[in-house]
Amino acid sequence: MSGQKHHPSLSGAGRGYRKHWPLWVVLVLIALALILPALLPWTYDQIDWDAVRAPAFSGSHILGTDEIGRDRLARLAAGTRVTVMVAIAAALVSLVVGIAWGATAGWVGGKVDEAMMRFVDALYALPFMFIVILLMVIFGRSILLVFVGIGLVEWLTMARVVRGQVMALKQRPFILAAEAAGTPPLAIILKHVLPNIAGVALAYLMLTVPQVVMVESFLSFLGLGVQEPLTSLGILVKEGADYMDMTPLGLLLPGGLLVLLLVCLTIEGERLRDIYS
Amino acid sequence: MTAIPTLLVIILASFFLMRLAPGGPFDGERPLPPETQAALQTAYGLDKPLWEQAWLYISRLVQGDFGPSLVYRDFTVSELVAQGLPISLTLGGLAIILALLIGISAGLFAAVRAGQAADKTIMMLATVATALPTFVTGPALALLLGLWLGWLPVSGTGEGWSWLIMPVVALALPVSGAIAKLTRAGLATVLKQDHIRTARARGLPETKILFKHGLRPALVPVASYLGPAAAGLLTGAVVVETVFGLPGLGRYFVQGALNRDYPLVLGVVTLYAALIILFNLFADLIYGWLDPRMREG
Amino acid sequence: MSLYEIRDMAIEIDGKRLVEGVNITVEAGKCTAIIGASGSGKSLSCLTPFGLTPGEALGSIKLDGIELTRADAHQMHKARSQLTGFVFQQPLTALTPHLTIGAQLQEAAAQAGPPRLSRHELAQKLERVGLLRADERLDQFPHRLSGGERQRVMIAAAIAHRPKLLVADEPTSALDASLRGEIMALLDELRAEQGLAMLLVSHDLASVEGHSDDLIVMDQGWVVESGSTADIISNPQQDYTRRLMAATPRLTEPAPALPLVGERLMETEAVTVTFPRPGWRRGKIDAVVDASLNVAEGEAVAIVGGSGSGKSTLGRAIAGIGPLTSGTISWQGDILPERRARSLSMRRLIQPVFQDPVASLDPQWKVCDIVAEPLKNLRPDLLRADRDRIVENALNDVELSAAYLERFPTSLSGGQAQRVAIARAIIANPQLLVLDEATSALDPLVGSSILNLLAKLQQSNRLSILFITHDIASARRLCHRIVVLDEGRIVEMGDMAAVIDNPNADTTKRLIAAS
Repeated sequence: MSGQKHHPSLSGAGRGYRKHWPLWVVLVLIALALILPALLPWTYDQIDWDAVRAPAFSGSHILGTDEIGRDRLARLAAGTRVTVMVAIAAALVSLVVGIAWGATAGWVGGKVDEAMMRFVDALYALPFMFIVILLMVIFGRSILLVFVGIGLVEWLTMARVVRGQVMALKQRPFILAAEAAGTPPLAIILKHVLPNIAGVALAYLMLTVPQVVMVESFLSFLGLGVQEPLTSLGILVKEGADYMDMTPLGLLLPGGLLVLLLVCLTIEGERLRDIYS
Repeated sequence: MTAIPTLLVIILASFFLMRLAPGGPFDGERPLPPETQAALQTAYGLDKPLWEQAWLYISRLVQGDFGPSLVYRDFTVSELVAQGLPISLTLGGLAIILALLIGISAGLFAAVRAGQAADKTIMMLATVATALPTFVTGPALALLLGLWLGWLPVSGTGEGWSWLIMPVVALALPVSGAIAKLTRAGLATVLKQDHIRTARARGLPETKILFKHGLRPALVPVASYLGPAAAGLLTGAVVVETVFGLPGLGRYFVQGALNRDYPLVLGVVTLYAALIILFNLFADLIYGWLDPRMREG
Repeated sequence: MSLYEIRDMAIEIDGKRLVEGVNITVEAGKCTAIIGASGSGKSLSCLTPFGLTPGEALGSIKLDGIELTRADAHQMHKARSQLTGFVFQQPLTALTPHLTIGAQLQEAAAQAGPPRLSRHELAQKLERVGLLRADERLDQFPHRLSGGERQRVMIAAAIAHRPKLLVADEPTSALDASLRGEIMALLDELRAEQGLAMLLVSHDLASVEGHSDDLIVMDQGWVVESGSTADIISNPQQDYTRRLMAATPRLTEPAPALPLVGERLMETEAVTVTFPRPGWRRGKIDAVVDASLNVAEGEAVAIVGGSGSGKSTLGRAIAGIGPLTSGTISWQGDILPERRARSLSMRRLIQPVFQDPVASLDPQWKVCDIVAEPLKNLRPDLLRADRDRIVENALNDVELSAAYLERFPTSLSGGQAQRVAIARAIIANPQLLVLDEATSALDPLVGSSILNLLAKLQQSNRLSILFITHDIASARRLCHRIVVLDEGRIVEMGDMAAVIDNPNADTTKRLIAAS
């Protein structure tokens, strides 16, 4: 009666490209963001004095220009690039901190675990966005700080998940059997524990990326994140919102792109999470 | 009870962080003459030792005095807060009620039709909703319903309550998506459990099984999401107040942050933290009602 | 006419036929039992007619004159709610967590229709099933009750509306061994008192023997044999039934020939294990208190007790994979330190085997790497080729072919996985195996084949064994001596035959009655 469970692996997560269309959408968008700047005649910060607020498909500006005559397509590509870069970097920071914190708490257990997880609970209850803003205000608005700040905040979920997994694994008899087999503790962690939490950690990493994209855009929207002349999707949305009465395209393009990225990343992340947990 | 110490730690931490910051509120375009600087410092108590400042701040805070605002020079922080808090609370409160209503009913509806087209459509919509940032939906709604269709006011509080619609919807959308997914997943888990089979064996009608035996335990994940949701709504409110030009707490916070108005930022962070902690206590109560096992800690 | 009569029933799920050719008859006041391994279709056969599984029942099913396969909604409702009561396996999860006992009992009684029962009547129903302080219980939530108490509540709810048929799906298998006898006795009593017909499902032949009038043996969706319980047990017709009976350990079977016992190997003295209470509260939980026992070369000692008796904690402390608070564990007179301080050569001496065979193998590792793990640590001098050869031999010892070397644990059945776990335990030539409920999660036939394998290894490798179990009858097949644990303390210890013939402690008596 018990259905035989298949060995979970990435290939088993659903074969075929069609099932993973969200991932492909994201990859294509990123590829475009990387390639387009090299092909376009305009850079993202170059002003075309002859074509201020040009509509779409006017001359060499495929998607038109903004209020001061900068090419929209070039700015979208540049913004996407910065947003994705910040997101990946911050997600990796959260991965490293989250695994280290969660695995330590889960493995050591007892009062140490109790104290470490109380700390996480306390931070969870905080208006963390305000703390990031506080950090931005205090230490200046550099792009490095943007992702360190975000990564340091977003590690909480990862820490909780990893800690739960490690706690559960620690009770599993195969860990005890490894101890009885004379495998030293560090080797048990490296060879038995980590490979068994890798899938879940990967799934939550995927889910952290859209979170980070959201936070970064939020900060940039308020003028507290990425600073001009650099641009990001959040800044583009902000600029679009300021002039939406005159050029709605300026809001709808970056807004739509951002939502598309977020939706695709979320769907893919949730699918991975459902497979591994 | 860890609420009070947690709050104290937050206040102290943000207080010292703010004081560590390079640059102060009086660094303008033109440097002020040194004697003016010194006079200002004394007037605002910035020349005293840090610990003393912190102690002064907290002892005044207890009496409801958040100190003077450095940017809005004619107002105290308490006055600004008294003005902004009702607006933010109205926005947040309405948004969470709306999100719970939409989210729980959508989740229920989907769970009852598990596996059917309606279920899949609702869940896809919920996923999209969770990925809708308020700073995109806010302006987009304003563009569509305000500028193009002219149905709702785009900015300010205005007359009546129609000004609330767009900000509240923009705030509630992502939260309602998350609640719908949690409700759906919770019900799917609970409806497979043994006690549902027991109820079914008693010949109860399906609706009674769902509402009397299934719904409460299924909402436990929703209850534990309420804390983070409240924090999310407060951050969302910052954007929405900025976008729709509403004089709420969030807008003061952004202005304060951009202009290094220490007392204002500190005051708002303290209030936010207190609100969220209060809300978590409230969520704990709900938790206990949903699942009696949680009542004995 | 019988109260409940099933003729030629088949059950399909999604068009797939899982059960076929089932005939069941239950008379008023009598008990019919269905036994079979997991996957035999026994639970499916008894729950599907009432719409409690995803399956569809075909054939003829008559309950008190109602043909269930053609029943309209009203008749079905009557059959399910008024004529029948159900008791399920998991008392821990079968009650709704957020409703009080009283509310759930009231709901169950309401199946018979109005009027609502008074509080006094509800309390009486709880008292009838042997719950003490019944009035107080009515206001409690299920989690405040123990497993045995909850199962009593389930029984009270199942008969609250005075049904004619009671369907009991493994009513005792999730309960502690010492409680099983009491619950079965209660069911017998109620059946006689109310003239109930009872359909009893179990995986375990021994647990239904004294309680059922008729018996149906199922295997893989088919009825293997059916008839009166006494006839089948005294004279089974089918090979499967005979094997099942042979596989079911019984205290009445002839004592096995056990290997000779040599010098004393392992000895514990006043072993105590305490755990800090979870949370910030102060205080400790005593899991094991002052346990002193010993094992000699070639000897098998059973550590027997209910759940929470500390038997697993004691076993883990001895195997060096669990905490030890005070006391000593020594090997031929030399002290074995507690877990982290054990050297590799000490580790080699004692190896564990666990209850859940699938959970005791790392799902990410292949069988060959799992079995080789102790060898790599304990015999680092071995060359790769030698190691491979030893691994293959070990698999051979547990009667698995070399074809299993490249498989992952998730593709193994419970019995195969347990054989792999045993291969890993014996590969480094240990002298003492600590078997923690090593057969209790397995189906009877599989469990018995594992017991036979262990007996063979006990003979051929001159292994000593600590056999941790709740089941005295299966311990008796392997063990020379028995140690009975209750709430962390040794309450009885002695020669297996002598203790079974003449038990002193109450715990021992209850455990023997349950076997």
